[in-house]
Amino acid sequence: MPKAPILVIDDDQAIRTTIADLLEAEGYPVATAVNGADGLVVLDQVKPALVLLDMRMPVLDGWGFARTLHERGISVPIVVLTAAQDARRWAREINAADVVAKPFDLIDLLDAVERIYTNGS
Amino acid sequence: MSADQLIQLLSWVIFLLVFATVAVRAARSPRLVTIEIALFFSVPALIILLAALGAAGLIAPSGPIDALTTALLLSIGYLLLRVVDKFATAPGWLLRGSEAALALLTAGTFSLPAPRPGWLSILMLIYLLGLLIYSAVAFAVEAGQSRGVTRRRMQAAATGSVLLVTVFGLASLALVQPDLGGERRMLTDICGLAAAIAYYLGFAPPRWLRRAWQGPELRAFLSRVANLARLPDQTAILREIEHGFATALGAPRARIGLWSDELGAIQFPLGDATYRLNPRDDLPAAQAFQLQKVMFTDNLPRDQPAYRDMSRAYRMISVLAAPISISGQRIGVLVAYGPHMLIFAEDDLELAQLLADQAATILEIRSLIDEAARNQAREEATRLKEDFLSAAAHDLKTPLTALIAKAQMMERAALRRPEQPADLAGVRLIMSEGQRLRRLVLELLDATRVEQGKLVGMLERVDLVALAEEICGRQQSALHSCAVDSDGPVVGMFDHIRIAQLIENLVENAIQYSPGGGAVRIKVWRAGDLARVEISDQGVGIRGDDLPHVFERFYRGSNVDDRHFAGMGLGLFICRGIVEQHGGRIWASSQPHQGSTFHIELPLLAVAEQLYA
Repeated sequence: MPKAPILVIDDDQAIRTTIADLLEAEGYPVATAVNGADGLVVLDQVKPALVLLDMRMPVLDGWGFARTLHERGISVPIVVLTAAQDARRWAREINAADVVAKPFDLIDLLDAVERIYTNGS
Repeated sequence: MSADQLIQLLSWVIFLLVFATVAVRAARSPRLVTIEIALFFSVPALIILLAALGAAGLIAPSGPIDALTTALLLSIGYLLLRVVDKFATAPGWLLRGSEAALALLTAGTFSLPAPRPGWLSILMLIYLLGLLIYSAVAFAVEAGQSRGVTRRRMQAAATGSVLLVTVFGLASLALVQPDLGGERRMLTDICGLAAAIAYYLGFAPPRWLRRAWQGPELRAFLSRVANLARLPDQTAILREIEHGFATALGAPRARIGLWSDELGAIQFPLGDATYRLNPRDDLPAAQAFQLQKVMFTDNLPRDQPAYRDMSRAYRMISVLAAPISISGQRIGVLVAYGPHMLIFAEDDLELAQLLADQAATILEIRSLIDEAARNQAREEATRLKEDFLSAAAHDLKTPLTALIAKAQMMERAALRRPEQPADLAGVRLIMSEGQRLRRLVLELLDATRVEQGKLVGMLERVDLVALAEEICGRQQSALHSCAVDSDGPVVGMFDHIRIAQLIENLVENAIQYSPGGGAVRIKVWRAGDLARVEISDQGVGIRGDDLPHVFERFYRGSNVDDRHFAGMGLGLFICRGIVEQHGGRIWASSQPHQGSTFHIELPLLAVAEQLYA
């Protein structure tokens, strides 16, 4: 059975592709989405084991995405990825598994992913 | 006792009562005006005394007694003129002339044997009626020019003079028709009585009547007071309070002086200038401020000869000043003044203090409202600054994130497999993110300069058409055409770099928001002293409710999805800064899904120069 992918949701193309490249280089399957609404669609298709979620996005932001998951009874660990100063508080607000502040160190992001991805599967 | 006698007795009693009242008042506060009023009423009292003594048989009717009564009657005219002078300033020649006439007629009365010659009686009547009619007119004119209590008092005084004219007119008929009919005598007595009451009300109104006259003005003032603090500016409030104060006290004019800590003086608007009053001066306003109590003078040039010129220049004879202070803090002084002596009464002082306290409350409320507005503005500014910083930090971190992550990935790859060639795509991403970061930093710096008003530097001759063509050529591609539409050069004085940035920014926007491609058109023309530029595209357009906000800092259209190209939302904010700091205007119009047009109006002449003068 193929491994469940990591879903990267970020409106910034450079960040999206960089993270996807990084995770793929480490051997994770990756899916991407450009905002929360797009993320919900992709999530249905790929059933990810973990979501890396930007908070401030157009159309549907991180809060809206997390709320919709909760409403639909979907349980998937989320790692918040944000450049905002309130990163920790926002992560608590949506009950995220972890938070990585932008700009992040590669090791920190990989550590978080490794820890939660293993636990999740 | 006949009705006739009853009326005479009644009129005697009232005259004596009025005299007693004004005499007591003069004794209590012996000022020139109170003494003169007492003197005026003492004459009828003396005449009544003589008549009463005669009726009681205590003095026999004789030539000298008769002459004395006549002389007293004559003096009524002169004494009345003196009172008129306190209200309305009688000319000096009239005062001197009536003094001389009074002296001559009195001398004639005493020296010529009875029966008095007819010509002397006629001269006496001319003298008396002349002065009485003059006073009636003077009081009526003054009533027309004044307000509130003073108007009522002047009306009463004018009525008194008219009644007195009637009295002497009836008496003069007696010269032609010596057999004085009982009815005519009764009418004379009634008129005399009414005149006494009218003069009393005019010259020395009792406290309750003053209050009743002040009532309507006072109520009108107090009902306006509640809304005063909301007037747009403090000057308007001050003018309203001054008007209310003057009207309630019946003074022609009132002024508020406000204490200024920096100047160490009380500042009064007087005439066209501002008068700076030293609180240690001797003027009533300064004393009211120093001593924190109501001060009053009915003759400023006499009490303070040093201020004679000022008194003349601003027509200040009577002055009443009340301190404006709230919880021990001295705010200023409220001063009412007028060109005549008889405006204020002692018991106005209490009312003046009451009104000054009202004024203090209004000014206090006003200053609290102002302070609240200032605090709100300060908080708003702080909030905006924080928003700006957090938005700026967020937007700067985004390219930095990709940049650092990519660099770290390349480092790992290089360490793991040193023989592999460098990841060229990765290097390009780092470079493009670096450029993006650089642009954001420059945008941020420009936005800061917009706020400081320091965006525009040296002005030089710039041809907007040539500039637009240059930018168009640089920006167009296979997907986006760009064309300039003009009838020849449009040359003005501009900051070349900033105007280029402006047009470039708008053309970039036009291309950015036309993701499906399309034509960008720049129209440049001259309209009088203005250069006009229009930049239109066929892109996504701007929604109606976004239109008024697109030039605001960090504002992004609600129909803009991908933030990757959208920058920080500072581009149009900077554009507006460039245009406005050139003394021009920028606005946008749009049909959603059909494109947007940005309109620019720039003065051709160096209007912007004055910004740097």
